[in-house]
Amino acid sequence: MSILRKKLSEFDDILNADEIDTVSLGKICFHGVPDEPGGLRPLCWKLLLNYLPPKRSSWLETLKRKRELYNTFIEDLIVMPGESNAEDKERVDVTLHDHPLNLNPDSKWQTYFKDNEVLLQIDKDVRRLCPDISFFQQGTDYPCQKIVSANGQQRLHNRVQHTVLKSANVERKGLGITKIAVSVRKAAEDYAPLTEGGEAHWEVLERILFLYAKLNPGQGYVQGMNEIVGPIYHAFACDPDPTWRKHAEADTFFCFTNLMAEIRDFFIKTLDEAEFGINSMMSKLTNQVRANDPDVWLRLHQQELCPQYYSFRWLTLLLSQEFPLPDVMRIWDSLFADESRFSFLIHICCAMILLLRDQLLTGDFAANVKLLQNFPSMDIQIVLSKAAALAGKTL
Amino acid sequence: MAKKTYDLLFKLLLIGDSGVGKTCILFRFSDDAFSTTFISTIGIDFKIKTVELRGKKIKLQIWDTAGQERFHTITTSYYRGAMGIMLVYDITNEKTFENIVKWLRNIDEHANEDVEKMILGNKSDMEEKRVVSTEKGEAIAREHGIRFMETSAKANINIDRAFSELAEAILDKTHGKEPQDAADRVTVNIPRERNSNRCC
Repeated sequence: MSILRKKLSEFDDILNADEIDTVSLGKICFHGVPDEPGGLRPLCWKLLLNYLPPKRSSWLETLKRKRELYNTFIEDLIVMPGESNAEDKERVDVTLHDHPLNLNPDSKWQTYFKDNEVLLQIDKDVRRLCPDISFFQQGTDYPCQKIVSANGQQRLHNRVQHTVLKSANVERKGLGITKIAVSVRKAAEDYAPLTEGGEAHWEVLERILFLYAKLNPGQGYVQGMNEIVGPIYHAFACDPDPTWRKHAEADTFFCFTNLMAEIRDFFIKTLDEAEFGINSMMSKLTNQVRANDPDVWLRLHQQELCPQYYSFRWLTLLLSQEFPLPDVMRIWDSLFADESRFSFLIHICCAMILLLRDQLLTGDFAANVKLLQNFPSMDIQIVLSKAAALAGKTL
Repeated sequence: MAKKTYDLLFKLLLIGDSGVGKTCILFRFSDDAFSTTFISTIGIDFKIKTVELRGKKIKLQIWDTAGQERFHTITTSYYRGAMGIMLVYDITNEKTFENIVKWLRNIDEHANEDVEKMILGNKSDMEEKRVVSTEKGEAIAREHGIRFMETSAKANINIDRAFSELAEAILDKTHGKEPQDAADRVTVNIPRERNSNRCC
């Protein structure tokens, strides 16, 4: 039996049990989930991120409940004042109760305008997610029907579209001849929304992030969350099984929420100094480099090359901006399988630095910052094996 | 150690709201290219370019920062060591212009007093979407006594000029007006490869 076949049958054994042994699942996923068959990774991630319970018999019920809940979120939270009466045939005088100039903080319009500021930021970021692949600009097979069939009115990106009042330049030339130049709009943008009835994957992500921001007002949306939700959604939306793929949006939302629950401190400024804040992660990394390779540590220390210059991004984004997407997926298999999340992340970051040892020891400050900020392409297995060795594991 | 291939090292910083085009400006300047496909900057990014000014080779170390509030604690720690700061807004986005005042306050709080500043109104190629007039940009710059320029990273307008003007202003400051008035000049610390500001 080939190694892959053997591995697949091990996955089968674990996943087909009535009650899945999460410890064994973690162990096997740590070594990477095979890309084929395609449905394996999304299923394992749903389990590792505690979205699916170990008991198989309760999956149907859980999924049904969660997915219905997600639909309620969409209905309740993507508030469209003025549109809420759209179903009533009669025109209602909205000004009596609420109107765009209402200063009452409870006003739906106030919420609407505040939301739009968050939305504007999300909109900018989802449109520039993974620009090297075309996936996120393509249409999804499962657009949100409630939204795409509403005459474009409720689509989130429409709320923050830059619009310019129509204007014309009036030019007077000599003898009272007046020339009116009407400005012409330029061509469509790269990430143009799809036509009526269709929806691009980035629009789906925009909705997920917006709902997350609405439901987590203490945190809101922070740049970089797009880079966390992206790979999860990509995995789920590419599931070859349509019964899963169809619900990629709702499933991603909950897995993302669960993951954020564990890493959200990285995204909160006031927690930078806290036990699980980003600064403590960066000092753990520095200490690990120091313990494993004092020369490299000393070099970076002497050059005053602070970990913030490179590892802030590495850690906050779980390395999603440092490697191509397939490698990120592989890294995340190990990260999610790590029983003490996210200590293996530190090991990977440390391994990355140690693998660049020779260059770091000869490079000057500028060369070294550049090198660390643009990690050279490398077989991801080399990085992971080194990290596993540092963690006292084998890979 | 590698031999020094430059005479002076200037540290510059790009700040401004997210999406105004800081990364694109820097990319245009360092690689003379434009790309609409940039991922959002998280934390801080870095580029190097050596320019020649008045016969001197000047190495520009340029830090590109994330625009969102969350990253301010990370990014403001770079203000202190910066000798020049470029404050960027987007002429097609009113809000980014309004926030200039906020960014100036940040500079006052965190940067060296004598840091050279410059305001850039970016995306000047998108005339049909303009909402901030050139006059408004000039006015705010005048009010604060700062250099001002409208730029387009996409159409390559004023990008090189902006960087050389800023570098020149720093050069004037650090090198006084050449020998004759050297006597009464305050000695200025010319930074070397290793930066002197504390961090971590």
